[in-house]
Amino acid sequence: MEFKQTQLSNGLQVVGEINPSAASLAAGFFVRTGSRDETPEISGVSHFLEHMVFKGTDKRSPFDVNRDFDTMGARYNAFTSEESTVFYGAVVPEFQSPLIDLLGDILRPSLRGEDFDMEKNVILDEIARYEDQPQFKVYEKLMGQFFRGHPLGNNVLGSPESIRALKRDDMQAYFDRRYSAGNVVVAATGNIDFDLLVADVEKACRRWKHFEVTRDTPPVRGNTDQTVIADAKMVHENIALMSAAPSSQDDDRYAAQLLAAIIGDSTGSRLYYALIDPAIADQASMSFDGMDQAGAFITFVSARPDRATEALAITRGVLADFCKSGPSEAELEAAKNKIASGSTLKGEVPMGRLTSVGLGWVYRHEYVPLPEQIERLFQVSTQEVAELARLYDLSAASVLALGPRESL
Amino acid sequence: MDEQFHIEHLPNGVTLLGQSMKDVSSAAVTFAVPAGSAFDPAPLAGAAAVISEWIMRGAGDRDTRALNDALDNLGCQHDASVVSEFVQLSSAQLGRNLAQAMEIFADILLRPRLEAATFIPARSLILQDLQSLDDEPARKAVMMLRERFYPSPLGRSIYGSVESLESLEARSLEDYARNALGPCGTIVAVAGNIDWPAFVDQAARLLGDWEAPGPAAPAVTAAAAGVTHIERDSAQMHITLGHKACPASDERFYAAHLAETVLSGGMSSRLFTHVREERGLAYHVSTHYHSLKGHAGMFTYAGTVPEKGQETLDVTVRELKRIVEGIADDEMHRARTQYKSATVMAGESTSARAFALAGDWYHLGRLRTLEETIAAIDAVSIEDVLDYVREFPAADFTVMTIGPNALDTSAL
Repeated sequence: MEFKQTQLSNGLQVVGEINPSAASLAAGFFVRTGSRDETPEISGVSHFLEHMVFKGTDKRSPFDVNRDFDTMGARYNAFTSEESTVFYGAVVPEFQSPLIDLLGDILRPSLRGEDFDMEKNVILDEIARYEDQPQFKVYEKLMGQFFRGHPLGNNVLGSPESIRALKRDDMQAYFDRRYSAGNVVVAATGNIDFDLLVADVEKACRRWKHFEVTRDTPPVRGNTDQTVIADAKMVHENIALMSAAPSSQDDDRYAAQLLAAIIGDSTGSRLYYALIDPAIADQASMSFDGMDQAGAFITFVSARPDRATEALAITRGVLADFCKSGPSEAELEAAKNKIASGSTLKGEVPMGRLTSVGLGWVYRHEYVPLPEQIERLFQVSTQEVAELARLYDLSAASVLALGPRESL
Repeated sequence: MDEQFHIEHLPNGVTLLGQSMKDVSSAAVTFAVPAGSAFDPAPLAGAAAVISEWIMRGAGDRDTRALNDALDNLGCQHDASVVSEFVQLSSAQLGRNLAQAMEIFADILLRPRLEAATFIPARSLILQDLQSLDDEPARKAVMMLRERFYPSPLGRSIYGSVESLESLEARSLEDYARNALGPCGTIVAVAGNIDWPAFVDQAARLLGDWEAPGPAAPAVTAAAAGVTHIERDSAQMHITLGHKACPASDERFYAAHLAETVLSGGMSSRLFTHVREERGLAYHVSTHYHSLKGHAGMFTYAGTVPEKGQETLDVTVRELKRIVEGIADDEMHRARTQYKSATVMAGESTSARAFALAGDWYHLGRLRTLEETIAAIDAVSIEDVLDYVREFPAADFTVMTIGPNALDTSAL
């Protein structure tokens, strides 16, 4: 594995982790923009724009875009989060140049009015689709609650009302503010020719303008409200808890990842033994989400309504207990082994490395080879994890429940 | 890519399959024990699902916690699951930890504790899974479609029913499990950074003495088929359709997959273009091929806002049917490239390869090299695909819809 990076004169950055023995390569355009960079009037525009990027340019019709991806046999998609919009594809090496040409072209979309109106229907349907997925709904509402008053509380999809009201020119104005060359990182992993990559990115993107892009990163004052949303139609009670955590830039992120695994990994964790093993809940997990100058620990529990109060009490007990006494050496060791093994497996496929390499550069302007990442993970001590738990006070969590119960 | 396959048979009926892969440090293993949910005796429907949960709760010298901790310490990304034909235990870990993990997996399959105390929570989790389906109509529709599409009980929901699960008892289920989990027909597939001779020696030592008769073959009756609507006040209308396809062992398998790719392979595919791109009807529309031994189907899903349910159904079905009229050269070229690329990329993952080895062996009785698959894809002509879709037309649909209102299916 070799790492290379460069910057075009317009500020666009190109990074590559080169693995000549891979059978494929993956490439992504990481735009540092998302729902946290929106105002209420244009709520959902980042995600809607992600869809519109596939709707063509001056050179390509919407169908041309789709056809060109499929002609390469690419595995491709895009996603929008609170703070990133990422367009990516994986192909066999012979299609490296066509993939970059295509991704580079569509990142300057025409945003044609008729495509905009048609795609609005798809967005509205996507919002309805997530309405029928309780876990997603709980996550979205809890983000809004915990980060109320902070840009990270902005909803990624927007609401049916904000999407209906959105105009094509609002989206263009947002694009013109956010899609600066300097706000984009092109990352590639796997069997790549880096010089060719840079040449192709240069060809596709050299005319992109550079302008100043800012982002508000106010301090997070996590709201610790507790909300129960009753929905008599539902069978299970879905409960989520959120509390503050290290950010993506923070060195404590390794300890945070370990903490979440010890408390809430899908096997052998504290929540597993407290809730799943005795079948008090059918799902219980905790994860760490490191974001730009902010972070959150998120815990999900799903239980039958008659066990929901008990499940929540046990979850709180597990969190409080961990804050008091921290992890055992054995727990920490197991969590390290699991995470190291998981990252190794994921890293054996170029696509599995792409987000790690791309976001690592977006957030920290650093490249950490996988073996060194694992090394850093193994250096974390039980004391560091225990201190982290106390520092971030896991028991001061915001709670949101969605299900048949009126109260918990 | 140079591929190295290995096959070895144990006298008690276990087949060992292996693929050595260069440049990876992981090794993935899959145990497929032919005691899946289709074998559940009717009154015990859901048995295999409960067993897959129960066998993880203590085995050999280890209780639940010791078992979990041992696997966690080896960094095993493990999963016990159930499909129609198999109880599956799969795990990926560093190759150097495979041998130690194998000792534990052998305990789980040959010496599960199956204690009365762990039975109730194991069953309760499966019951809760079943009940939570009501909160996820898309998943429920797909599951119920398969149940009605395949001859009974081959497509039956792995969960059985609330009644059958509640009637299960620890003693009788333990008896069933100890008979059903047996060596005959069991496939153990391993891929990645492996030492094959050492693996075979160890597997022979661990699994060579395994004895158990295996489950009785199920009595198969005709599929329920037909049109079913479940009324529900959901945000979306969930539409699922099934029609017949050729089984994976059929020589027309590649033609079937190419038809699937033309219809649903990427964003330029027909369903995506005509349902989503041109009309904005549905965020998600797709069709996919699925095969059991001897029976296979093309399963289509579309989710849309209720007002657009009828139009979505009509346009989707029209596209499924229209493929018999012809396929353009460039469409076929794209489908071939997509299919080949997907095959190459799946070949990079040790887990995907272990699954693929087990699947090849089960359906074909042999292992396919990447080269063979690529050549077979290249050999299929447009005429072959058209012959295939004429033979297996989009007709006689089994339909399952969940949403606020029933749709008119008279034109299907």
